[in-house]
Amino acid sequence: MTRPLLGLALWGSLLIPRAALGQASVLPGTLVIAVAREAISPVPTLWASDHPSQEVSDLLFLHLADLGPTLSTTDESSFVPRLARRWTRRDPQTLIFELDPRAQWQDGVPVTARDVVFALERARNPNLSPQLAALLGRIDRVTARDNHRVEIHYRLAYAEQLYDAVFHAPPLPAHLLTGVAPESLATAPFRSRPVGNGPYSITRWEPGKILELTANPAFFLGKPGIHRVVFLPSPDPETRVNLMLAGEVDAVENLYSLPNWHRVEALPAFHYYPVPGLGVVYSVFNQRDPADTSRPHPIFTDPVVRQALVQLLDREVLSRAAYGNLTEVPDAPVSAVLGRAITLPPHLAVDTSLSRRHLAASGWLDHDEDGVLDKNGRPLAFALMVPSVSASRMAMAATMQEAWRRAGVRVQVEPVEPPVYVERRNAGRFDLDLYSVIQDPTPSGLAQSWSCAGIGGSNAGYFCDPVVDTLLAQAGRSLTASHRLYQDAVRRLAEDVPAIFLAAPVNSVPVHRRFANVVLRPESFWAAVWQWRILPGAELERDRR
Amino acid sequence: MIRWLAGRLLQTLATYALAVTLLFIMMRLTPGDPLAGLSDERPLPAEARELLRRRYRLDQPVLTQYADFLAGALRGDLGVSIAQHGRPVTALIRERLPATLLLGTTALAAMFGIGIAVGVLQATRAGSVTDRVLGILSLTAYATPSFWLGLVLTWALAIEWHWFPVAFMHAPLLDPDAGWWVRLTDLLWHLVLPVTTLTLVSFGAVARYQRAAMLEALGLGAIRTARTKGLRDRSILWHHAWRNSVGPMLALFGLWLPLVVAGSVFVESVYAWPGLGTLAAESIGSRDYPVIMGVAILVSAVVIGGNLLADLLHGWLDPRLRPSQ
Repeated sequence: MTRPLLGLALWGSLLIPRAALGQASVLPGTLVIAVAREAISPVPTLWASDHPSQEVSDLLFLHLADLGPTLSTTDESSFVPRLARRWTRRDPQTLIFELDPRAQWQDGVPVTARDVVFALERARNPNLSPQLAALLGRIDRVTARDNHRVEIHYRLAYAEQLYDAVFHAPPLPAHLLTGVAPESLATAPFRSRPVGNGPYSITRWEPGKILELTANPAFFLGKPGIHRVVFLPSPDPETRVNLMLAGEVDAVENLYSLPNWHRVEALPAFHYYPVPGLGVVYSVFNQRDPADTSRPHPIFTDPVVRQALVQLLDREVLSRAAYGNLTEVPDAPVSAVLGRAITLPPHLAVDTSLSRRHLAASGWLDHDEDGVLDKNGRPLAFALMVPSVSASRMAMAATMQEAWRRAGVRVQVEPVEPPVYVERRNAGRFDLDLYSVIQDPTPSGLAQSWSCAGIGGSNAGYFCDPVVDTLLAQAGRSLTASHRLYQDAVRRLAEDVPAIFLAAPVNSVPVHRRFANVVLRPESFWAAVWQWRILPGAELERDRR
Repeated sequence: MIRWLAGRLLQTLATYALAVTLLFIMMRLTPGDPLAGLSDERPLPAEARELLRRRYRLDQPVLTQYADFLAGALRGDLGVSIAQHGRPVTALIRERLPATLLLGTTALAAMFGIGIAVGVLQATRAGSVTDRVLGILSLTAYATPSFWLGLVLTWALAIEWHWFPVAFMHAPLLDPDAGWWVRLTDLLWHLVLPVTTLTLVSFGAVARYQRAAMLEALGLGAIRTARTKGLRDRSILWHHAWRNSVGPMLALFGLWLPLVVAGSVFVESVYAWPGLGTLAAESIGSRDYPVIMGVAILVSAVVIGGNLLADLLHGWLDPRLRPSQ
């Protein structure tokens, strides 16, 4: 599907519900979702790196506001009010949120400003939430002005203030948690039986077996149309395929994460929704010698070689074979979601003859006629490190190896276990890797992996361009030109070809056809399930139970 | 006798301590970052990584970590899981153990029950067509990969014919307040495919051991004497010959006993059975040291304890093996 069409699909899925809400019947219903990984801690401030927990948490705890249909993190007018019914700007460094007075916790206690302060303070404490604290470093202080008004003061004026305030740490019930030692929330009873303020509450949780949520009839934004949401952990993708074939589930997360997905891509019982993904897959060129990271890499420091290696690959074919037909091929570290906001640089298309010429011009020729290019006696040979558990990336690696072999580049594919992969990546002990990362919907995270300061941290390839750093820093501080500056940074970064950007997957989410008003949010698929309905007359036995 | 027992117990404890120590050291020598599970999908800032290393005491020398582990284990505290956000390991094991115990004991009973029956039948008809056919069938089943058999059985019996559920331990939407009979039948219904898979791929080994042991026992002079005394065939077979063949079967049982607690990763995975096998595999995959050690000390205890039990039972059944007074 082309990008404009996908955009339309996303827009449509977000807009239809509001129009159709009144027309659909209101029935008790059950949505059964087979998930690869189960939630561990579906409580805000505990799920920073755990997407399954975030998915469930978003059904239990409302954010102050949600991202709007454009998924823009800088356009404040596009955010959708949730717990906060409005927000105002007192000055460039201060936002004031006014809570919806109808909002209440599921124990009947009203949601107050104290709850917002409690959650954000917890999130900003590096000893409790190190990952969140790093993300919320620009918030200076959070204060309750009265029961329903919260003031957030930032260290500087920047475009993503609202996003930072609402996205990472939904409010927590201070009246229930002030008695819990902050560091023991992960093991407190609240973790398994949280009291939220959202459309659902946990009514049954047997770890490894089932997580059942039941609709909150008193939900202040309207009674959910689906009475029960059931998450069934089934880590083996073959099992998820079997469950779909047997009609035992209503939805799975992503068709393209299943083996032999062609078997289940057109089941009549399902409708397949395209949802832009937050992931991006790329191979980083390590620009330092893996044997001694104080020295430059003997091959990859030359940008001409890097570009030639990229253009020897047909990335469209590679990525679609691995991640499905909807997948986009970026030329920058930009997920499909971020790609909606950022215009990508010109595409580096496959061109083997041009690549060969570039390599020859750089001195890489087959002098000894052994089938491998060489320069000053050194063969054009390197290792490609891949996490062995990722079938899609292993398949990609084999195809890349073959494409390069035909051009006289010798590549050894090194499958390693994920913990070893991460350890070696962090230590810079690799030539080229095959990385998959989930990004937040904001480009501000780019600085972590693509700035000089990120070296030694997430910047595994030692890419360092002071101009990119400056642009990213300016974008992070700008109130008005942030979007353009991020775009410039991404373009500048892409020109240097620090990596082979392979795929920005777009998910295809199968959902049973009896559901109407289906909204699937890219940042949290099931967060809008409360707006779904069952089509009249289409209910199954499990909807009535 | 008491001295022998005490010595055997001491030997078992020493083996256990050595096994646990070796497991701990080997786990730490294996390359891999235990924080990988927390940072694979979203990059973890360096400061956050350092803080987490301190939180889980990964920054301590290995000997200190080992001392901490031992001190905790002696108090019944196996530490907290890194991948599961600090949840206690004992709680994780408690959640998963019942499912594995149920699947393991049922499968073990079925595989030994069927394996012994088939082996005895083959031995009594050695060289016949029945013996050969059963031999080929059991060997074929033994050579079949469990995950493949599981997928085939699921496809045929669950997806095509709808006789059994595709996966899980209970019907997910079964009313939690349903009567015990409904819950029991539902559990048994879900148990059929995983137990069948595990039994089919393993009864062949039992049958082959049993056949060989039984053939040896049937050739003993005592059996010939029993026949000449005019004892009934059934009595000769089970009371005399089979009892003499039990030794190797007990040794085999001791080797298979860990199945009861370790589970089968492939079968648990295919049927989404919430057992310890998948927990252990996930923990090894993410280098979640505390969980790996928690599961390992449990499995080691069963392996070593199982062997001790097999020895004691063997001695009880075969007076020749008892220590002299």
